[in-house]
Amino acid sequence: MDPQTQNTSLQRLQNVENRVVKVLELAGGVMEELASPSGPKKEFVNSHCREFMQSMKDIQVTLREEIKSACEYRPFEKCDYNARIANEICFQKLEYVLTQLEDLKQTADRYPSSD
Amino acid sequence: MDSDMEISLDRLPIKRLESIEENGAERFPSDVDYDDKRVSLIRRIDFAWALEEEDELKKKKQKKSSKDSVEQWKWKGMVENLQLAHQELTVIIDLIDTVQANDAVTVAGMTRPKPMPNEILSDLAVSTATKLQGYRNLGNYFKQSAKALEQKINREARFYGALIRLQRNWKVKRQRMLASNASNEGFTIDLSDSSLYDPTSGFRPSTLSTIRVDHDSAGMLAINVPQDSWYSLRFGYVGLNPIGNSNESDEHIDSTTGHDIPGTSEKLSASDDKYVKETHSLLREVHKSIFAEQLFDMLNREAFNEGVGFNISGLRENFMEMSIGQGASLFVSLHPSGKNPSIKKSESATLLIESSGRVEPAEGGDYRLKKLGFPNRTSYEIYLQQIFHEHAFGKAKDQLKSKSIRASNQTEKDSNSGLLDHFCLSLTHRIFSNRVLVHLESVVCKVPYLHLISHPTWNSRTSSWTVFMTVPPSIIPQGRSETQSPDGKRNLKTQFRTKVVVKDDCISVEAECTPNVVGLLKSSSCNLFSINKYECDVADLPVMILQQVASQIVCWLLEEARTVGTKASREFLSLSLEIVEGERVSLVAHVNPEDAKGCISWWLVMENGCTEEREGVSESRKLLGHLSLDVLYSVLMDLINLCGTGRNALERL
Repeated sequence: MDPQTQNTSLQRLQNVENRVVKVLELAGGVMEELASPSGPKKEFVNSHCREFMQSMKDIQVTLREEIKSACEYRPFEKCDYNARIANEICFQKLEYVLTQLEDLKQTADRYPSSD
Repeated sequence: MDSDMEISLDRLPIKRLESIEENGAERFPSDVDYDDKRVSLIRRIDFAWALEEEDELKKKKQKKSSKDSVEQWKWKGMVENLQLAHQELTVIIDLIDTVQANDAVTVAGMTRPKPMPNEILSDLAVSTATKLQGYRNLGNYFKQSAKALEQKINREARFYGALIRLQRNWKVKRQRMLASNASNEGFTIDLSDSSLYDPTSGFRPSTLSTIRVDHDSAGMLAINVPQDSWYSLRFGYVGLNPIGNSNESDEHIDSTTGHDIPGTSEKLSASDDKYVKETHSLLREVHKSIFAEQLFDMLNREAFNEGVGFNISGLRENFMEMSIGQGASLFVSLHPSGKNPSIKKSESATLLIESSGRVEPAEGGDYRLKKLGFPNRTSYEIYLQQIFHEHAFGKAKDQLKSKSIRASNQTEKDSNSGLLDHFCLSLTHRIFSNRVLVHLESVVCKVPYLHLISHPTWNSRTSSWTVFMTVPPSIIPQGRSETQSPDGKRNLKTQFRTKVVVKDDCISVEAECTPNVVGLLKSSSCNLFSINKYECDVADLPVMILQQVASQIVCWLLEEARTVGTKASREFLSLSLEIVEGERVSLVAHVNPEDAKGCISWWLVMENGCTEEREGVSESRKLLGHLSLDVLYSVLMDLINLCGTGRNALERL
């Protein structure tokens, strides 16, 4: 994702998804730590659990925000198809003018310059 | 008995978590009460094993009794054991009988025997081991889920990322009904402009207006548009442009904007960015095609209206042919803009063979187009799209705006009823005005002191040019001439203009400083600032222009002569000076548009007022030839000098 789309709704929702993945990984890590033959390290489990709970909180907050803002989304409000066709016509005009200019240039080049 | 002993472990009591608080505190459901526990314990009593054991023991006894007779001494200890077991069994059988008789048993409190420390330890060890195994499995499960979810997220991020980028430019809709199979989420891209589909406008929605969005095998977004299913509009002249085939310039355009629908293999390598761009331009192509179809549809409907500017001569699917004024006939067609290069090549090849008899090679065609005065077909193809877009499609968008425009521009309003008619009339006008321009150019080229200016009129059915001429400055100094005209206004013009305006197929000529129609032959003077207007047809135009110019020159010379105080008079294209009483000398212009050298030639004519004999008149004419303005001026000055010297000088001529 390029930086300009960093703040789109899609990007935020994708972050939530990535965080869910992270949460699962954390849970897996904690479980493995608990099952480790040398015994679980308290700090490790603590920090992971804290991170887990923090992620959960973030996910919840983001989702709530997104659900709220989803109501404001009106995709077909500004349909510019008509204007787009006008643009296409202008594009054709430009292309045509370019060919004409090219012709002019060729004609001009056929004569020796007066300088 | 020891060897047969089985160890059966109770499963660990399952204590399910009810919830975990944010600080990690776990909350369990409350413990079950004593009665529930007791009932569940009773339910766990299973005597099936006891019955089986009993049967086996009976069999064993029978076998063993036969054996015991042979080797009694060996099994003595065992027999005692068996007897003990028998006693225990009878106790159990008694219990069973009691149970059978009562149908229910009440267990009045059962205290578990206090486990030995080593038993507790082993219990703990086992349950801990199981628990650890459970943790490990859970850990693996979580990690696998994380991995699988991550993959899914990445796939979807690609798809939705692409979709959302397309959504910035196109209407993306979702229909849940379509979301049946796995490869389709039910997304469609709507290319129709809903504002145009009101029932009164009568547009039919194109088949292309809804495009389905699918996932491809790599999870990427894929739109499915059948190849060769879109069209572009073609406009051309019958017999001069190949019908239904793109010419070279169009192929060039295709190669720049064209693209393939990328295959699966390509797509994997192509970056998403590039792919989205390709999809975007594909949609753009389709959108243009929809416009072309709508435009053609409208043209068809217009074709049935009465129009003064066109006459439909051929109509078939996706093709119409009509004849317009000025001997031109044109076609408009919807032509499939195939993107498949191989098909295209063969198509163009066959068309080339097919049309070789009719269509001239490009250069020859261009030359012929120019000769006939037909404007470039590309520009009119664009114009056709433009007027229809502005008036038919723009109307729906901003009714108010177009109303005000139409109110301010009367011609627009008139033409709005028949856009096709207006288009054909515009084209006819352009062809006509090109021919007018050819005439004007030929005249201006031949007369060295004439210049031609083309004016923009901002109206497709009006053209305008000015032929202008700059006369050399007077040799009489400015100051002196000012003393002669006491109003302080210098009445000598240095530039003379003739304006040619063509509206539809009417030419009108407005010339400065030329006699008006009524006084054309009579007037002996001229007003330098008067403007007169004439109408003429294209054949008369060169003569007309030359006469106006010659008249302007005469007018200029007359003014110059008067400035120096000489008596002079003009008669249409001649300037007369009275040299002596009854003797006049005239400069007469003769115009001939066919004359390749200069078109305007000058004669010197001497008239004797007393003698009206025809021989005398014929002898006194002298051709001066094509004179430049400077030479003409000096001739005039010579003649004015003559006036001063009188009859002797005249005779010298």
